[in-house]
Amino acid sequence: MKLETLKENLGGFWDNLAEGWRHLRQSAGEALTRFHPGEKTNMPVRAEVDDDAYLPSMGWSMLGGDMFEDDKRLVVRLEVPGMEKEDLDIQIHDGTLLVSGEKRFERESSEGRWRVMQRAYGSFRRAVPLRVPVKADQARASYRNGVLRVELPKREPGAAKVVSINVR
Amino acid sequence: MTDNSAVTKQAASSRSDTALLPPVDVIEDTNGITLCADLPGVPKDRLGLQIEADTLTIEGEVTLTIPEGMESSHAEVSLPRYRRVFTLSKELDTEKVGAEFNQGVLKLRIPKAAHAQPRKIEVRPA
Repeated sequence: MKLETLKENLGGFWDNLAEGWRHLRQSAGEALTRFHPGEKTNMPVRAEVDDDAYLPSMGWSMLGGDMFEDDKRLVVRLEVPGMEKEDLDIQIHDGTLLVSGEKRFERESSEGRWRVMQRAYGSFRRAVPLRVPVKADQARASYRNGVLRVELPKREPGAAKVVSINVR
Repeated sequence: MTDNSAVTKQAASSRSDTALLPPVDVIEDTNGITLCADLPGVPKDRLGLQIEADTLTIEGEVTLTIPEGMESSHAEVSLPRYRRVFTLSKELDTEKVGAEFNQGVLKLRIPKAAHAQPRKIEVRPA
């Protein structure tokens, strides 16, 4: 492919890039997640990819997460696009919600060259600290539009306890 | 994890005209290109695809509404829009674009125009 085949609108690109950094710094402290491609990930080798930034051994992706709550439950949402439901593993351990999974690389045919590779593949793991104790056995999870949603009933209804500490 | 929902909401409203750049993969083969973009949180009816002349625009609106009565206690996803613009070369046939959207991943197939595809010329004995 000549450079012209798919050229990104340059002005827009810089605007978006600057915005991306701002977004990253302001609100994504935890969202940047490392992906570790393994043997099962089936990544293309370096020689098949023209993207200079491509590293077959690792990848980063922004998995945006948020959490909200009412008196009875905590709801955690995590953006993990393009997964199979079966490849997501959710555990609750010591007041932390652990989400891990493996995103496999889909290869439709052996021909063709990868011109741009920005999406991350491989195994990842995210730990979300939970503010209050939850009933882990009653947790429910769903996956829709590439967003994982985990609903966790609180063990004790009510808002999170605030502990004041005096500074001496 | 700190409770900064008020700050986040305020910042989000002042950034309503900005958008996040979705990561993409592009593969080219002899017959065309396939483009995959990650747009998590965008339902099918909020995905916008537009081709005008040689410009391809991908837009998506995230609808992660907080249910009534619930309070946000942590938010990393505060930009509600995705947008990315590409310029397509003339050898691509924009009349025949195929699109699939599944679990937040958009997959576009843009074939090359017939004249740009390699042709096999058979040589027959006269």
